[in-house]
Amino acid sequence: MPVVAISARRLNELLGREYDMAELVDALEQLGTDVEDTAEQALYRCPACQAPNDKPMDEEPPKRCDFCGHAQEDPFERFASETVIRLDLLAARPDLFDVGGLSRALKGYLHLQAGLPEFTVQDGAIRVEVDPDLSNEESYRPFIACAAVTMPPLDHNSLREIMRLQENLHWGIGRDRKLASIGVYDLAAVQPPIRYTLIDPQTFGFCPLGMPGVQMTAARILQEHPKGIAYANLMQPYQRYPILLDAQSRVLSMPPIINSDETKCRLGTRRLFIDVTGISRDAVINSLNTLTSALAELGGQIENVEMHYPDRVQRTPDLTPRSIQIRYSEALKWLGIDCSPEEFVQTIRKMRLNVEHQQGDQYQVFYPPFRTDIRHEVDIFEDLAIGYGFGAIEPRLVPTMTIAQERPEERLSNLVRDAMIGLGFTEIMSLLLQSEERQFAKFRMQTDERTVIISNPKTIEQKTARTHMMTGILETLQKNRRKAVPQRLFELGNVIHVDPDAETGTREYRHLAFAIIGPEAGYAESRKILDAVMREINRRGTYAPDDHPAFCEGRCAQVNGPDGLWARLGEFHPQVLNNFGLSYPVVFAEMRLTNVI
Amino acid sequence: MKSQTLNEEQWQIFQTLLQASDRISVQQIVAATGIDHPKVSAAIQYGEEQGWLATDEQSREELTATAAAASQLQAGLPERRALALLAEPGRIAMRDLAQNPNLPMSDVIKWGSLRGWFDKDKGDLVLTDQGRRAFEQPDADERALELAVARGGTLFLDELAANHIDAERVRLLVQNRGDLAKLKPRTLRFACLTENGRRILTHEVTVVKERNMLTPEDITSGEWQNIRLRRYDVTLASENVYPAKIHLMQKIIQLTRKAFLEMGFSEIVSPMVESAFWDFDALFQPQDHPARDMQDTFYLQRPAQAQLPADEIVDRVKRTHENGGETGSRGWGYRWNVNRARQVVMRTHTTACTIRALARNPQPPQKVFCVGKVFRNEAISYKHLPEFFQVDGILVDKDANLATLLGTLKEFYRKMGFNKIKFKPAFFPYTEPSVEVFVYMESKQSWIELGGSGVFRPEVTRPFGCQVPVLAWGLGLDRLAMLRYGLHDIRELYWSDLDRIMEAPLCQ
Repeated sequence: MPVVAISARRLNELLGREYDMAELVDALEQLGTDVEDTAEQALYRCPACQAPNDKPMDEEPPKRCDFCGHAQEDPFERFASETVIRLDLLAARPDLFDVGGLSRALKGYLHLQAGLPEFTVQDGAIRVEVDPDLSNEESYRPFIACAAVTMPPLDHNSLREIMRLQENLHWGIGRDRKLASIGVYDLAAVQPPIRYTLIDPQTFGFCPLGMPGVQMTAARILQEHPKGIAYANLMQPYQRYPILLDAQSRVLSMPPIINSDETKCRLGTRRLFIDVTGISRDAVINSLNTLTSALAELGGQIENVEMHYPDRVQRTPDLTPRSIQIRYSEALKWLGIDCSPEEFVQTIRKMRLNVEHQQGDQYQVFYPPFRTDIRHEVDIFEDLAIGYGFGAIEPRLVPTMTIAQERPEERLSNLVRDAMIGLGFTEIMSLLLQSEERQFAKFRMQTDERTVIISNPKTIEQKTARTHMMTGILETLQKNRRKAVPQRLFELGNVIHVDPDAETGTREYRHLAFAIIGPEAGYAESRKILDAVMREINRRGTYAPDDHPAFCEGRCAQVNGPDGLWARLGEFHPQVLNNFGLSYPVVFAEMRLTNVI
Repeated sequence: MKSQTLNEEQWQIFQTLLQASDRISVQQIVAATGIDHPKVSAAIQYGEEQGWLATDEQSREELTATAAAASQLQAGLPERRALALLAEPGRIAMRDLAQNPNLPMSDVIKWGSLRGWFDKDKGDLVLTDQGRRAFEQPDADERALELAVARGGTLFLDELAANHIDAERVRLLVQNRGDLAKLKPRTLRFACLTENGRRILTHEVTVVKERNMLTPEDITSGEWQNIRLRRYDVTLASENVYPAKIHLMQKIIQLTRKAFLEMGFSEIVSPMVESAFWDFDALFQPQDHPARDMQDTFYLQRPAQAQLPADEIVDRVKRTHENGGETGSRGWGYRWNVNRARQVVMRTHTTACTIRALARNPQPPQKVFCVGKVFRNEAISYKHLPEFFQVDGILVDKDANLATLLGTLKEFYRKMGFNKIKFKPAFFPYTEPSVEVFVYMESKQSWIELGGSGVFRPEVTRPFGCQVPVLAWGLGLDRLAMLRYGLHDIRELYWSDLDRIMEAPLCQ
């Protein structure tokens, strides 16, 4: 999960007060964010794009720019340091990804402002023409939404904040640029109208961000530019690539890969042009709404842009509030709190929402469009709970009495566990997922048809689920082979067998397995123990000779009895002992206790 | 008046002292009685404490011939063999001498020069007068070593004078020649009975039989009355032994089960091999959610498809995802695909078990919990295992709400051994509100996040016909085990080191 570092100084500047670190951290935690820690960090300037890169104080200075990908031999030059609060990003709340969004929420929580934040969107004159071919399969990235924003002249801090937010929205909403990706440009370097169209990657070229004067074809950017290499897979299936061009055919960017160098934002830039393109309409709209609302918190004035699709014209962004109906009594019941209608309204407004009483129990709550997490009245109840404060809620128990019941096979397992410990066996636990080799080949067995097979394990060690308990026991003996013998150990656990008649295609059984290693370990000893366990849990079975490749011929038995009783015991074949690097005989028994599922 | 008792061995030791006219050493007593050294020393100390005897110590320098010394002397030390070769010519070039295969030249030069037998002169060895005299006469160290070998290997340097051997010269010649002999300071302890001691030992002691153990015959025959059991030093440490015991992780599982059972929650189970429907869809996780990625979740090749519950239920879940259905939600707004719900996964959480229980019994009150293995598609490392234990509990009740959630959590964590806990708002996908629980770990002097909880979203509960709020919480038990046992490598939990299991105290 990405971590965002928020400058405490900058946060206080936006709040207009001097809160100390502990107050800020506490308020952020009570709002539901995940504060990792607070730290001192250093800022380094990228010589190519001028972007400030931050790093914790104790780490090496960067040699590669987080923003444009520029890399060099010498470390970047450090120009400042600052105290930051480090937060884990909350995927559900992209509106809390940056200092602007956090300050908006904190202003409510700290009683500096209340109610819905107002966003003024002026009608702008910029048009974007959308090429109908973008909806074709050969280039599919059909959705675009744009905005123009006038900001206080960009300085190092605001430049960095905007770039970080852009990256975080790529993660949080864009699914790493797949669903949506954002471009931000210096509007002074761009001449509208803008065209969103397609190019042939083999012939069309431009200078990518961080490489002024280096003209590269789109195809070469994908092979050579760091960002091109990182996101080339997104372009893989397509023959033509999307591009944003201005009236002079200057390149703004090639989404979702890289901006051009000539239209990039610089120190002092005042007017920003923003585009979001993607394959999900919702992700595109949400990204733009979240980004422009955050810029408004940083002092931006938003103008909308007219999107000319082949079949429609649409102005973006649309920051008018959305609304949802909620019930007062249901909210109080859901949270188990008691609060007056006045307090109810105030607490909701504290969470930067507006609320209007309709009639009786009904209230209408207005929320900003970037609150995409709101899809049910309970989402407002949660805001109410956060505003009310978890600490203000008195923990209680439900008065209902219930009688508990433990599961019979856990009870049985505990009886068996007690018996085994009494017999001097130590309990082990091992992993259920194993490679086929460890489960079968090492025991001279063919792969069992009843074995669960996993299609996508990271390593072959997790290819199958255990059908028997021998692997864990022998691997434990292997690990402890330098220690004194005899060793006596046991495991209680489930094995899984494929069964096409079962609901999920498998059945699970609770098995007991035990083993003794040592010069004296022999069949008679294991039979004694198995008999003792059966006696303790009142089971009886009939022993019969068994042929099993893992065991010595003539020294292996199967036990069968009423109620599905099954067990196998025997002395391991010397080849099996070799396979696990063991040099003493091992006697082993495995017994099915119950059918779990 | 016979007030003192001695055991048989003590009696023998003191008898030896009584018979001696003068002081005698501990070694001498050992030699005379055949009783081993520690026992003799202990008896002497006892006698001294009783005032029966006086002791004194003498430091002497002991020469011990090495095992190789005898054969070396017999063959002649290297410098003596060189001396023999020099006798006739009186001068030999060193490189000629070096032709001699068994003559280590460094020893010849080092020790011959030290003895003053020859001088070095332009690459030659020249015999000296002292060297000439040495033909007839063995040197002091040679004689001392002969004597030591004859005596079984050792002698004291102070004994040499009596044999007309110059002890100083012996010391000079052997002190740096470890292959021949070693010199060591020795402290000898002597004891001499006092007058009082002589009297008491002669007239006032009784001898008793002392034994380590009584035999069955001693016990039944009454012979025990004549036997004194040897006194033990009961303060001595003993060897460590450990009982066979339950596995560390199992202890945590049992503690957790007990906590739930004591709070009136019944235990439930569900398959580890689970359908995507119960693992994800029933919990309102959209089908394109990153948690459902191949990156994070084990999908099964065999079995490849699971059966789904009744069509009516599947349809309600589908509509809830698409537009909220009858749950009051606007849903996720996408086309729900029944085939993705049929996919089979290794369950990613035990909430799959509790949601199944809710679907079976949607009417309040219900209180159930499940402890079981869950799986994540991770490679094994010190931080991550692809499988671990989790516990999930739900409470279905007309009085279920955020306040009763906090109260239930407080009791649950108290039973798990955490008296200091705090709650923090959080954002989990299928609870609203969501609560993160922090426990205060005394051992770490800090707050640790340990578990998530919340009130199930109506999109989760209503498709199954449950109309009351449902409280849900869960936590990973492996993490709890690591914190509690101070482990830094999660693999230590399952790559069982038997010593570690045996040595971990049950009360931990």
